[in-house]
Amino acid sequence: MKFSANWIAELAPGLAVKPHELGALITTKTAECEGTEAYAPFLDHVRLARVLDVRPVEGSKNVHATIDAGPLGRKQVVCGAPNCRAGILTAWVMPGAELKGGRKIGTAQVSGLESEGMLAAGDEIGVNREHDGILEFSEGAPGDPLPGIAPDHIIEIDNKSLTHRPDLWGHLGMAREVAAITGVALRDPVPEVEWAGEPPLRVEIEDYELCPRYSALVFENVTIGPSPLWLQYRLESIGLNPISNIVDVTNLVMAELAQPTHAFDADLLKGSTIYVRRARPGERVQALNEEEYALDGQALVISDEGGAEAIAGVIGGRPTGIHSGTRRVVLESANFQAASIRKTSSRLKLRTDASMRFEKAQDPHNTVRALARCWELFQMVSPGIRLAGGLVDNAAPVKPPPVIRLDLAWLNRKIGRAVDRQEVERILRSLAFGVEPEGAEALAVTAPSWRATKDISIAEDLVEEIGRMIGYASIPPRPPLAPSEPPPDSPEREYQYELRRRASAQGFTEVYNYSFLSEELAQRFGFPPEEHIQVLNPIASDQGLMRISLVPRIVRNIEDNARHMDSFRLFEMGNEIHKRAGATDDGLPAEIPHLVAALYAKDGGGEAGLFELKRLAGILAPGVEVSPAGAARCFEHPRRAWTLKSHGETVGRVFELHPSHCEHGRGAILDLDVAALFRLRPAPVKYKPLRRFPVSEFDLSVVAGSRVEAGVVRSLLLRAGVPTLLGVEFVGQYEGAPLAADEKSLSFRVTLGAADHTLSADEITAGREQAIAAVQAAGYQLRM
Amino acid sequence: MSLADTLQELKESATGRIARASSLDELEAIRVETVGRKGVLAGAGKEMAQVAKDERAAMGQLLNAVKAAIESALEERTSAFQAAALTARLDAEWMDLTVPAPGVNPGALHPVTQVQRYLEDVFTSMGFAVLSGPEVETEFHNFDALNIPPTHPARDMQDTFWLEGGRLLRTHTSPVQVRGMKRLGAPLRMIAPGRVFRNEEVDPSHEHTFYQLEGMMVDREVSIAHMLYFMKTLLKEIFQREVTVRLRPGYFPFVEPGFELDIQCLLCGGGGCAVCKYTGWVELLPCGLVHPNVLRAGGIDPGEWNGFAFGLGLTRLAMMRYGIDDIRLLQSGDLRFLNQFR
Repeated sequence: MKFSANWIAELAPGLAVKPHELGALITTKTAECEGTEAYAPFLDHVRLARVLDVRPVEGSKNVHATIDAGPLGRKQVVCGAPNCRAGILTAWVMPGAELKGGRKIGTAQVSGLESEGMLAAGDEIGVNREHDGILEFSEGAPGDPLPGIAPDHIIEIDNKSLTHRPDLWGHLGMAREVAAITGVALRDPVPEVEWAGEPPLRVEIEDYELCPRYSALVFENVTIGPSPLWLQYRLESIGLNPISNIVDVTNLVMAELAQPTHAFDADLLKGSTIYVRRARPGERVQALNEEEYALDGQALVISDEGGAEAIAGVIGGRPTGIHSGTRRVVLESANFQAASIRKTSSRLKLRTDASMRFEKAQDPHNTVRALARCWELFQMVSPGIRLAGGLVDNAAPVKPPPVIRLDLAWLNRKIGRAVDRQEVERILRSLAFGVEPEGAEALAVTAPSWRATKDISIAEDLVEEIGRMIGYASIPPRPPLAPSEPPPDSPEREYQYELRRRASAQGFTEVYNYSFLSEELAQRFGFPPEEHIQVLNPIASDQGLMRISLVPRIVRNIEDNARHMDSFRLFEMGNEIHKRAGATDDGLPAEIPHLVAALYAKDGGGEAGLFELKRLAGILAPGVEVSPAGAARCFEHPRRAWTLKSHGETVGRVFELHPSHCEHGRGAILDLDVAALFRLRPAPVKYKPLRRFPVSEFDLSVVAGSRVEAGVVRSLLLRAGVPTLLGVEFVGQYEGAPLAADEKSLSFRVTLGAADHTLSADEITAGREQAIAAVQAAGYQLRM
Repeated sequence: MSLADTLQELKESATGRIARASSLDELEAIRVETVGRKGVLAGAGKEMAQVAKDERAAMGQLLNAVKAAIESALEERTSAFQAAALTARLDAEWMDLTVPAPGVNPGALHPVTQVQRYLEDVFTSMGFAVLSGPEVETEFHNFDALNIPPTHPARDMQDTFWLEGGRLLRTHTSPVQVRGMKRLGAPLRMIAPGRVFRNEEVDPSHEHTFYQLEGMMVDREVSIAHMLYFMKTLLKEIFQREVTVRLRPGYFPFVEPGFELDIQCLLCGGGGCAVCKYTGWVELLPCGLVHPNVLRAGGIDPGEWNGFAFGLGLTRLAMMRYGIDDIRLLQSGDLRFLNQFR
């Protein structure tokens, strides 16, 4: 929202703060100022001048004009405007001016003639957007500054910081803040008007919830034409486009009082009743922006006997709009329910200056004030205009604003420093709150109507009013009194950090990936799209599903990084999000933390990477065991996929990517269920006494088929039932003569021992024989 | 030749040969030949018996002296050879440690993880519990419980990712306020870092997925003055220096009053520069006193308790700390970027 500093100063007479300081004051006390910029500073170098005579310039469309700039003398200027003619009063830009975009105006040779400065069109000096001719003024004396058109400053306020303040969507509201901050008086621009006469229109309101008030006036003998230039300049300076006198006044009043109004051509409305009702489903409105909108049954419309003529609070209709021949005007000034306007405007994707204001919950008391101000201005811009009849005003009874009890001791405790009672009262009154004493310790406070619609309802709201006006900088920071006790710990979080720390220590770099994936990507990995939670309004179609596995994005990471590196390691810790309900009591989807590590090497057969991931698994989850996965998934190498188990429970998977998912080089992936690992995490270590008696070791070499896993044979040995068995370690394997081509020999070192004695030769022999018997029972031969 | 002369000569020839010896082996041979158990001196010892009784003592002394001289010469030369051999071995063991060490270099933790971890430590040391909340949330926790009425613009389709079944992806970490209050009750000090989602187009300064850290303190007497103190202390820890802060009004439905907290620009010290857009201040975090409706939603009586809450942009802090100018890099998985944070 753009505010004119000149305008604010007119409403807060006596204001002695420079525009830039004003922006800073508003930021610290009211709302965020995004910047303050000089607007048309060059107007100091622009004066009224009368064209005395005009001479054609040979071979050019330009003319050479003599102008009278009053006390500044007569000047010669070259001008190309078609309306440059003797007698008109226009804007003369003096040499030395610097216009928009750094355009310097001096004494120049134009068409071979000297031009002292130039005569200006509206767009050249920021008055309006016209470039068809030079400006023409109807009053003022040559040599004077342009009437009502002075250098200004525009203060831009962040709209978000005005969300809760309907009143700050007009200059009067901001001027009230400025007056309260600086201690000057506020001037209300709305005249007192005695309305007389019968209402010339009937208004029927279907639902007062949606439209608490609808006020209107009817005008006749209207002349449509351009607004006075001062009015056009004012609108232009705050970014509104001047259109015509009647429309410009409604926009000016909206920018002043925050109350949007709408002017209909009365002769184009059918019948003499205005209906405020919900749209009929499918009902269409041709809007002023030249679009046609189809409405549903929830939108509110302004209708005549013929049908909807405007979308209430959002935009007027084109067929009944003001045009150059308009003679009679119905001026609507209504109040609409904020939520309804916001819904309609977001459904139509149409945000207008009106809808932005109504969706902040405007003050119903403001409708008639806006009419009074428009009436005053209409008389200035359309001479001869008359009121037809009296005020039309259909309103639901307005609830009086609640009386809020403000306990002064409580206020001081909330702020953290004492604020004088007189100071509290002064601040509240300067912001137009009603203040009555309520005993010695409290005040009875009533919010002004424009703050009571949504903004102010409880005592906490008043803490903000007092706090911001005394200045938050005046509150000395104070340490809170709080028990110094250690916070409850979060072991799961600590566990996850430990995993991350270990993974990175092993050379894996942490990546973050999105929680979304596309249907196509899910399908490529064989994950059925219907198993994913769908995003109803994804940013892009490739982000429509919530991930049930981190793997697809990790594979994307591999593809991306393989373009720059021959080998790398990475991992991600993140949540899988599943459709089934999780552990929370509100039935939310299960969010399962997973750690997925990946290793890529452009060269090599892939074994080293898989072993490295196995090692990583053991470091992250000590004691985890690898076993063949059985069926591999479509993105896994069919012979290189294993499940990882801890305490018999599956906690993850390690695999090499199928060549179809990793075209160049080898990619291996470790996927761990961190929730399961956390549940199965090792108990704190309990010390075991050091062994006092020596152990015995012997090696066994077992001949097995070349695809028999060493782990299978090892577990045979472990489960052989040898009572003195302490451990079995894989030593190595051998293939080649004299073994058959499809055979290999696996060697293990078996350790026997007892806690309370040194094993006898018999015990050792018995153990050895029992181990061998177990291997042989499973069909394996021993290699001697 | 007398025995004395023989000994004298032996001493001279042995020490001469020792001095000329060129290896440890040669020295050993000389040792065996001269002072060894079957060596010349041992033989001379046997001749002692034939020496006249009155000369025997003097001759014994001479023999010992010769032996000592030879042994000392052997000793000296042996040490010299050993020292030379050690020197030669060590010299041969020259190596080049400027080549890369075998094995794998450590990887990096994500910059946001590092910043988050640091902040968690700071907060834990100040008595705050670290809580987690779900990424998929209910409308109640994400909006209603936070005093965001159904008509608030934050609920518009353009801000929130909606999921089937009326669920949504949390748009902030604030829902954990209510979850935390319900779980821990009052008094309460908690933070909740985590991933949040906004339905926004991605560009160098906007992401639809980013990280926040929610903080909340609930106690019997909590004022703006307390919040200010706390924020100053916290920011001093974060930035490792004194920071000047200011509060200004800010509107967030779940706090009343609500503030934007600015810090004086750390780059220019408040004088004005491009980073602070020549205002001297940098907007850092929203905060405020917890709205009574939010306390109620958390099952805490606002007549008895009150508190403050704040939200830190973890992603933004990480970008500030490491000078990252494109937010998209954080979710890019690009190791050329991430490996810089080792």
